[in-house]
Amino acid sequence: MKAVGARLPRYDGIGHVTGRTQYVDDVRVGKTLWVKALRSPHHRARIVSLDVSKAEAVKGVHAVITHADVPKNVYGHLEGLGVPADEPLLAEDDVRYKGQPIVAVAAESEAAAYAAIEAIAVEFEELEPLFDMRKALDAEAPQIHQWGNVYPHYGPYNHRRVRKGDIDRAFDKADVVVQGVYRPQAIEQMPLETQVCLAVPEASGRLTIYSCTQAMYFSMGVVAAHLQVPLNKLKFVGGTVGGGFGGKVDTATDTICALLALKSRRPVKWRWTREEEMLASSTRAPWHIELQDAVTKDGWILGRRTLTLHDAGAYARFSPYGVTKHAFHHSGAYTIPNLRFDGFVVFTNRVPTTAMRGFGVTSVSFAVETHLNRVAEAIGIDPWELRLKNANRIGDTSGNGVVLKDPSTVPVTLAAAERVGVELPGSYRAMTSDPRTGELLPEHLVAQQKLNGEGAS
Amino acid sequence: MTDQVLVPTSADEAVSLYGSGEGLTVFAGGTILLPEIATGKLRPERALMLHKAGLDTIRTENGRTVIGAMVPVAALVDHPIDLLAQTARHVADAEVRRNATVGGNICAPPGPDAQRGDLAAPLMALGARVRSAGAGGERTEPIEDFLAGDRSGRLVLEVELDDVERRTAAAGLRRRHAHSYAVAAVVGAVRVDGSDLRLAAAGVAPTAVRLRAVEESRDAGDVLRDVQPVDDAVASAAYRSSILPKLVREVLDRLELK
Amino acid sequence: MKLIVNGIEQDVASPPLTPLLHVLRDELDITSPKAGCQQGGCGTCTVLVDGEPRRSCLTALAAVDGAEITTLEGLGGPDSLSPVQAAFYNHYAAQCGFCTPGMILAASHLIESHGRPLERDEVLEGLSGHYCRCTGYVKIVDAVLAASRGEATEIEDLPVAVPGEPEVQPKGSPA
Repeated sequence: MKAVGARLPRYDGIGHVTGRTQYVDDVRVGKTLWVKALRSPHHRARIVSLDVSKAEAVKGVHAVITHADVPKNVYGHLEGLGVPADEPLLAEDDVRYKGQPIVAVAAESEAAAYAAIEAIAVEFEELEPLFDMRKALDAEAPQIHQWGNVYPHYGPYNHRRVRKGDIDRAFDKADVVVQGVYRPQAIEQMPLETQVCLAVPEASGRLTIYSCTQAMYFSMGVVAAHLQVPLNKLKFVGGTVGGGFGGKVDTATDTICALLALKSRRPVKWRWTREEEMLASSTRAPWHIELQDAVTKDGWILGRRTLTLHDAGAYARFSPYGVTKHAFHHSGAYTIPNLRFDGFVVFTNRVPTTAMRGFGVTSVSFAVETHLNRVAEAIGIDPWELRLKNANRIGDTSGNGVVLKDPSTVPVTLAAAERVGVELPGSYRAMTSDPRTGELLPEHLVAQQKLNGEGAS
Repeated sequence: MTDQVLVPTSADEAVSLYGSGEGLTVFAGGTILLPEIATGKLRPERALMLHKAGLDTIRTENGRTVIGAMVPVAALVDHPIDLLAQTARHVADAEVRRNATVGGNICAPPGPDAQRGDLAAPLMALGARVRSAGAGGERTEPIEDFLAGDRSGRLVLEVELDDVERRTAAAGLRRRHAHSYAVAAVVGAVRVDGSDLRLAAAGVAPTAVRLRAVEESRDAGDVLRDVQPVDDAVASAAYRSSILPKLVREVLDRLELK
Repeated sequence: MKLIVNGIEQDVASPPLTPLLHVLRDELDITSPKAGCQQGGCGTCTVLVDGEPRRSCLTALAAVDGAEITTLEGLGGPDSLSPVQAAFYNHYAAQCGFCTPGMILAASHLIESHGRPLERDEVLEGLSGHYCRCTGYVKIVDAVLAASRGEATEIEDLPVAVPGEPEVQPKGSPA
């Protein structure tokens, strides 16, 4: 591993600094058509009627597609994992978020494409939207998804659960219970390169798709599934992305471009405007996280109850997976022997949400770390001591039963203190990740300790 | 695509081609029009481009400073009239300021998500007058009258200010980075003998607003009688209402009124 | 109309109101200026017009008829990097690279117009209209400061531990 520790030039560095790096929008293929989409102006509505005939007649228009043109219109990002499909590529009977695509066109010029969109006759019946995920479970809330307002496919449950130890006993034994509610909000990844795709029909009958995806094989699978074609019908070219940060996994453009390329028999390119990006591209989700910690006066966290609501927006996409990741991390980098976690994926009439830099985890890390400071304040203990005492150590088990063999909480916490100039007492600075003994192994942590590596992983 | 693009090579030709402005899109710096054209929202049929019409100079004559409508905002950043320079420095960033024009800024139509036309506030405080052409010929009027009137048929040619010694002050609330629209900004000017107090607020309404009630009473609280701030993507009306009196107070204090 | 792009005179047929960005990208196939927002907000479309950085997405073709346009391709190629290009390369100032063309052109002009080493604040202010979503700007500022000081540090010569980077001793992967 000669390269480890060495400074190496970026393989794309020269391309970047000379302006020669080729992004999807920089690829030049002759006779390329421009793509535009009709997007829902409403947060939630029934589509009463749709007539694209005038759009097809606009000068310069080569193809117009609706849901009827999609071999498999309704798809789910997690179908491969057994999660049922719920989202139409192009809207069929209703629209569930402002910006949802309904029709797409390919035309000789951007102006012709815009004109075609304007020529579409569509009638809506507006319906009452749901925006607040906390209201989603109320009986009187509008039911906005065919599964109801809560994702129901976590096995027999409608939520992701973690159960460890005896949570009621932990709360009985607590000296103090500290509560907190944490609501990190949606964030738009805002890559400088907007969503973009160039799809080229080849003479061989295959399709070449220049994609901005962060996940080439995944997106190939999405396109193949919608088109109902074998994977070898597609050739994906990509890997040069102008920023994604999680926002270019959902495969927002590739499928529609593929269909238009096939229908028009011409290369087609769809480059989203910045407005489309801000309106219709998937964001990091808003979360609602309620933590209740059962704590002793001397700073042991005996147990934690967690309720999480995750705003999936209008469709499921990766949200069930995000909440699962979130569940794995809800005890943070700390050993809490009694846990009760319930996490709900909730639908609202917002743009569907997706990954962004630490999908599912950053939200709970923020909540947990903020909460620990509250706990420290509530019991009058130094927040560094609270963390170092409860920190994961070798032989501790995580919330879902994983035996920890080399946790880094202690050395990283100590390094962080040093980095920010906090002088910790010598007894803290001497702490290591070694298995708990003596004062660091109170009665209530004995049962969760697995030193010879046994236990579920 | 635009069917007809007219490029006058003199101010007179511009006025003549403009006529009453009917069916014509005036194209100054393009910083507002080009993004709208790019997203298909605007498709001008006839455009009047002003970049060759000789409207891009700043001149001083007869005790006045005259700023042509096509003067780039960049040219005001280091101008000796400090109130203008301060406001200009906050418009977008250095690169956009090379394209944006004084006339375009003053005549900006209401923005969908943020308020525009910040330069009109210091111009109001400095007693500026707008010279415009259109149906009924040329006229010169105080900028607040120009903005309050029907300006859909007016072509701004230049803005003139009397070179009078004034004390000036500005206070604004905005994020500390480029391209920040102001949550609210207040500017003020007073002659050195204490007369002719003029105050204006920018960023809280579709155009800059003269604060006549405050000028009269010298009471910062009266600002909400002069302007009803709006809700937009930058700030709420409620928040603007709560900080405007504070900004007005700050400007009044700095003007050292007797 | 005519443009002199990177030293070469070009006759252009695009309509007069066409943004310079699209004349360059779509008529002349010069693709380093990017369509990041088409509203003048991001800086990825920046080119030099008669030596000054302007937003090409906000510049109508007719307004620059006859002007000299410089894009990143015109600043230097792989075997002839300008000092700023070399500094960006050596200091890892580009990750995805999308902001890089506009950033380098703006930085080059900033350095040239001052004609002396820059201060950090001057770089932050001078490049304040340019967004980067990847790097957090630190290495971009380092590169511009280094270039303004005439430093020609090669990658291998950069100090191993840059201040601010944590010293972590990995103990072997638990995975």
